[in-house]
Amino acid sequence: MPNLTYASIDQTVLNTLTPPKRYYWAIVAVLFLGVLVGAACWTYQIFVGIGVGGQNNPVAWGTYLINFVFWVGIAHSGTLISAILHLFRAGWRNPIARAAETMTVFAVCIAGLFPFIHLGRVWQVYYMIPYPNQRLLWPNFLSPLMFDVIAISTYLTVSSLFWYTGLLPDLAAIRDRSEGIRKKIFTFLSMGWTGAHEQWRHYTRGYLFFAALATPLVISVHSVVSWDFALGIAPGWHTTIFAPYFVAGAIHSGLAMVLTLMIPLRKIFSYQKIITKEVLENVAKTIVFTGLIVGFAYATEFFIAWYSHNSVEIEQFRWRAMGDYRWGFYFMVFCNTLIPLLFLFKKIRTTIATLFIISLIVNFGMWWERFVIIVGGVARGYSPHAWGLYTPSLIEYGIMLGAFSLFFFLFLLFAKHLPSVSMTEMKETLDHGDSHAG
Amino acid sequence: MQAEKYIMGLFKNEDQVVSTLAALNDSAYKFKRVHSPIPSHRIMDALNLKKSKVGWFTLAGGIIGFFSGFALAIFCSVQWNLIVSGKPIISLIPFFIVGFELTILFAVFGNVIGLLTQARLPDAKGMENYDPRCSGEHFGVLATCEPMQQDDLKDFFQQNGGEVKVFD
Repeated sequence: MPNLTYASIDQTVLNTLTPPKRYYWAIVAVLFLGVLVGAACWTYQIFVGIGVGGQNNPVAWGTYLINFVFWVGIAHSGTLISAILHLFRAGWRNPIARAAETMTVFAVCIAGLFPFIHLGRVWQVYYMIPYPNQRLLWPNFLSPLMFDVIAISTYLTVSSLFWYTGLLPDLAAIRDRSEGIRKKIFTFLSMGWTGAHEQWRHYTRGYLFFAALATPLVISVHSVVSWDFALGIAPGWHTTIFAPYFVAGAIHSGLAMVLTLMIPLRKIFSYQKIITKEVLENVAKTIVFTGLIVGFAYATEFFIAWYSHNSVEIEQFRWRAMGDYRWGFYFMVFCNTLIPLLFLFKKIRTTIATLFIISLIVNFGMWWERFVIIVGGVARGYSPHAWGLYTPSLIEYGIMLGAFSLFFFLFLLFAKHLPSVSMTEMKETLDHGDSHAG
Repeated sequence: MQAEKYIMGLFKNEDQVVSTLAALNDSAYKFKRVHSPIPSHRIMDALNLKKSKVGWFTLAGGIIGFFSGFALAIFCSVQWNLIVSGKPIISLIPFFIVGFELTILFAVFGNVIGLLTQARLPDAKGMENYDPRCSGEHFGVLATCEPMQQDDLKDFFQQNGGEVKVFD
């Protein structure tokens, strides 16, 4: 960490919280417009019915479920960075941990919207809540969809609490450097935190337990998401490798999104001394690792289909590589496994432009991976007369635009109103190389 | 009897704080607390602090969550005794997932409750006798003394390399 001091860290981060310029609000307004487009499309769907989407028989799960899995995946790297790397005492995660955690919280919120959207009659959502409704029906916890309700709501609650706990000392630091209404707001938010030794004593312990609990949680959540498919008996879905395959894919896409967000943030907020090239390089190295895992999973699926001698599985995977959605398959292999291998070259993983471009390519590829898995399984089922294809409708594209806009809209608001780099953890990095060491 | 005086020594590095704490321990002044911008093992070791009890709250939350998850899933199942796909009404393997998720959820609730109660947050009076620089680049050692010893305590902090702040 070259030439950094406690004061320079505070100054750099606090400078990002100065009143924003007009172009910031212009971008926020454009993104808000995107959110309105999504909201309008969803409203239209609520009034007209779920049929305005492109889902059909047999492809009943389309972009709503693809986006659900995509956003849950994005949410995973935040916890990887903030919890798993914290337990491993990887000091390089400190500069990006806060932004990654925030990304997690927003991505889970957006992911959580999609089952509501997919439900069609969204007002019936309370049927999933375990309470005696008017017919005295209770949810059936044998269903993987009910596992999902529990897992996603737990993940949202835990990641939000983890995020807020990590934010507490920084909120106090802002409080101590603010005046007027802002001071009052941050006084309320920081809950009287003063960094007293008694507070730190319990805080470091609590933070360690948070990390220790978030780690198995993050693995369980995407495993549960994978079982939405794996517990169904559709060809291409009904496989035991889905849980680790989905978890690796989730971390892969999440890390790519971290680069997508961090690189502009670093440039706009002059974070070059804090988010160093070495930090970005370490993310890129991890992407190579997760990319190899997903590549191995892609190959394993084909191998098992061939090895099983199951004609339906063989046809499913022949069609995946050569059928109607072969382009999606080529995108996923090329973007998620082959392109990240370019990070093996130091020149590429230390050049900001290539890091950014490859991160976008991986995001694109991971969206297509979910398309290939989700649509492919049901489009090419057991019975040839029930085969069918699916094309998303304009309403679905509108809702997708709304989701992406909402994510970047929320992130932009966060980056200008709360510290996007943890001042406390950065100071700890200067002192002993890791964070909140409990 | 006059009220005791609150005086804070502000230091820029941990080494000075650790040596000041050792000297303070051997003095007649009453140590109150240390404020620091980061958690410091060295300071905690110097203060000889016991391990936090937050973990017990976390454990209690986890145990409650584990049994609540199973109880919820079993309770919901027996409300509608219909065998689906040949699976038993009370299927422990799928219910383990509910048990696991609620273990984590309630353990985190326990952790938060433990943290708030043990660290006494929210603390409306926490800002009394506090210097805002302690969330920036300073470590603040707060001690009290009799009014007549005020100058001695100020000297003490200055001799240990600190800046002095006296609270009214």
